[in-house]
Amino acid sequence: MSLPRITHLPSGRLLSTILHHQPLLPSIIPLTVPKRAVIQGLEGIKKHFTLLKKEFTDRWVGPEGKPIVEHMLEQNRVVWEFRGPESLREWTVSSDREIGGHSEAYLKLGRNNNTCFLYGTLSSTPPRDGETRYSGYCTMRSKQPLASFDRKKHHDWSSFNTLQLRVRGDGRPWMINVSAETYFSHQKDDIYCYFLYTRGGPYWQDVKIPFSKFFLTHRGRVQDDQHPVWLDKVNTIGFTLGDKADGPFQLEIDFIGVCKDYAHTEEFAYEAYKRNPEV
Amino acid sequence: MKGSRCLHQLKSLRLLSHAGRRLPPAAAAAGDNGALFRLHSSSLLGGSQCPQREVLRHFHSSPARTKSQPARFVQEEDKTRDKSLVAHDDLFEQVAKETKTKATFNKVIDVYTKRDIRRRGHVEFIYAALKKMPEFGVEKDLTVYNKLLDVFPKEVFVPQNFIQRMFNHYPRQQECGVQLLEQMESYGIMPNTETKVLLVQIFGEKTHPMRKYQRIMYWFPKFMHANPFPIPKQLPEDPVDLARFSLTRMANDWDAKVTVYQLPCTDITDSGAEVTLPHIVGIQSPSQMEALAKHNPCRPVFVEGPFPLWMRKTCVYYYVLRADPAPPEEKIEEPYDPERCFMYPLQLDLDLDRDLGDDESFDVEDLDDGPVFAMCMTSQGDQATLNQWISGLQQSNPILGQIPTLFRLGAGPRELQGVGDTDSASGTWFSSHAHKEEADPGEDAEAVVEEEPRRSQGVKQ
Repeated sequence: MSLPRITHLPSGRLLSTILHHQPLLPSIIPLTVPKRAVIQGLEGIKKHFTLLKKEFTDRWVGPEGKPIVEHMLEQNRVVWEFRGPESLREWTVSSDREIGGHSEAYLKLGRNNNTCFLYGTLSSTPPRDGETRYSGYCTMRSKQPLASFDRKKHHDWSSFNTLQLRVRGDGRPWMINVSAETYFSHQKDDIYCYFLYTRGGPYWQDVKIPFSKFFLTHRGRVQDDQHPVWLDKVNTIGFTLGDKADGPFQLEIDFIGVCKDYAHTEEFAYEAYKRNPEV
Repeated sequence: MKGSRCLHQLKSLRLLSHAGRRLPPAAAAAGDNGALFRLHSSSLLGGSQCPQREVLRHFHSSPARTKSQPARFVQEEDKTRDKSLVAHDDLFEQVAKETKTKATFNKVIDVYTKRDIRRRGHVEFIYAALKKMPEFGVEKDLTVYNKLLDVFPKEVFVPQNFIQRMFNHYPRQQECGVQLLEQMESYGIMPNTETKVLLVQIFGEKTHPMRKYQRIMYWFPKFMHANPFPIPKQLPEDPVDLARFSLTRMANDWDAKVTVYQLPCTDITDSGAEVTLPHIVGIQSPSQMEALAKHNPCRPVFVEGPFPLWMRKTCVYYYVLRADPAPPEEKIEEPYDPERCFMYPLQLDLDLDRDLGDDESFDVEDLDDGPVFAMCMTSQGDQATLNQWISGLQQSNPILGQIPTLFRLGAGPRELQGVGDTDSASGTWFSSHAHKEEADPGEDAEAVVEEEPRRSQGVKQ
């Protein structure tokens, strides 16, 4: 903002301007804020305060706003259900177009607005930046849940041990990525992955993956020191496709839920001790 | 370290036994191998390197290699010796004039190894070879990878003391070894013991390529059988067999029967024009036949397609005969016929003792997309071919003669296409209820045609 120009007058005349009430500065137009922004701002404030009030009152009902009996005996929980356009706003879709590749990915509601439909094209020609060797991926990731005033909130799935989803794919192998909250900054890209094999065909496929099968990766590389995913602070879940087959793809998801399978007693599917000791 | 030394001693003993037999032909051979043996035997006997001879490192080949007599590549050697200053890519490009096969690829590697005992520029050569593998069609061949790994000189890059072990001894060669293993990993090839022996001889243990090998050997067996719907590595070539395999895969029913309505053939009509008839393979299970028989003739059935199905890198397209879900008032729950099965009761009215909250079903409304009555696969998805399919279906489901059939075909690729041929720009996605909702602007117009209820059998259009 530039300062308004003060009229240049010799010092003798300055005194006279005060006496004669001549304006030194040109009149400043008062700043007007567009009405729409004001309304949006007020709505935002209302939303945040409502969330804050809800957080305070939920503690009196029980953990996570549910009575404690319900929380303890809960066996299934539907976390994401695609039943309307607002459910798509919780998801982010990206592909290797960001690094210069040629894949495309789009998200829309499926038939009867009852499912989400992720579709697009994969192209594995690497971008010509001299350092990328492999390319051709696309991903759909859920947004981090937010509490009042945009503070990070986490999913607490500590009472569950299986991820269950109903999908209808086209035969391509997808990968499910679960990202948990970490303490150190270099653990930021730690993702726990497992495969989602689709059969293809017109029938819905129920997929049940226990959380003990998820292995730890960092930036796409499987790590040596493995440990089971900590479910008490899960941030996001994502689906990614990178099977090096160029062409169109589609995936339809009905719902994503977590459940407690009493028959599943495995804690972790991979060896957790140090397998490649140092020299 | 001990391991590689043992291997070294074993090898030297073997070479010594070979030395006596090999010396006469070695003297005549176009000679790096000959010089090798002579030097080696002399050093062993002498206990130290002869000072008069040049100080040559001992580039031992692995025991596996000494079994085969090195072929004489005299002509190639002369040819390439003139062009000693060319980059390594050109070696492969020279072969490009002939056919690119595994034999020629191996020949190029042999030419390179015979050329110089010091294997100058072996890192660049290996990188160039890795890049050219897909062109020669050998990227999924483990023996070729082992042969390429053999290009590395042995025991030169093995760290001898703790300082060398600490400081990433010969980093370029280690990186090259890691890249070779990474290409193997990306193509899903499992290394074998020969790879391990080679890696130990070349790099030693506790080095990056050895670690990479250990990681591959740990994770690959864990994930090899993770797919609950496995696909064979070699898919059937014949389109009818491929259609049969994919339809049984999708149908999810052991009782489903595959019928071939038409085999692919080329006809020559009277006017001399060639007409290719596509194959039509359909599948239907007994439960689907029952459901179709009970279908209300007032409600139409739809032929929808083409939908993609991917199996590894092949994409095939299938068509579906389905109906919209019946409105709730028309749904009738038929009681189970108790005489259907005498082994066990089909319906129990017991109040099973389940614990409070022991409920394994999710609180989601069950999506009812409508019953699927049959599926088919054909290479040409136009209406005439699908009509043939419907008429073929009518023979086993006579009710189809009274039910109006609507065709909802998306405008997409209709032929069996491999990777890279599919037209991604045009929409292969169908949009449901096109006549009720507004069509999506990005998709092409669909052909919706009303079929007459009467349909003569065996009509060819």
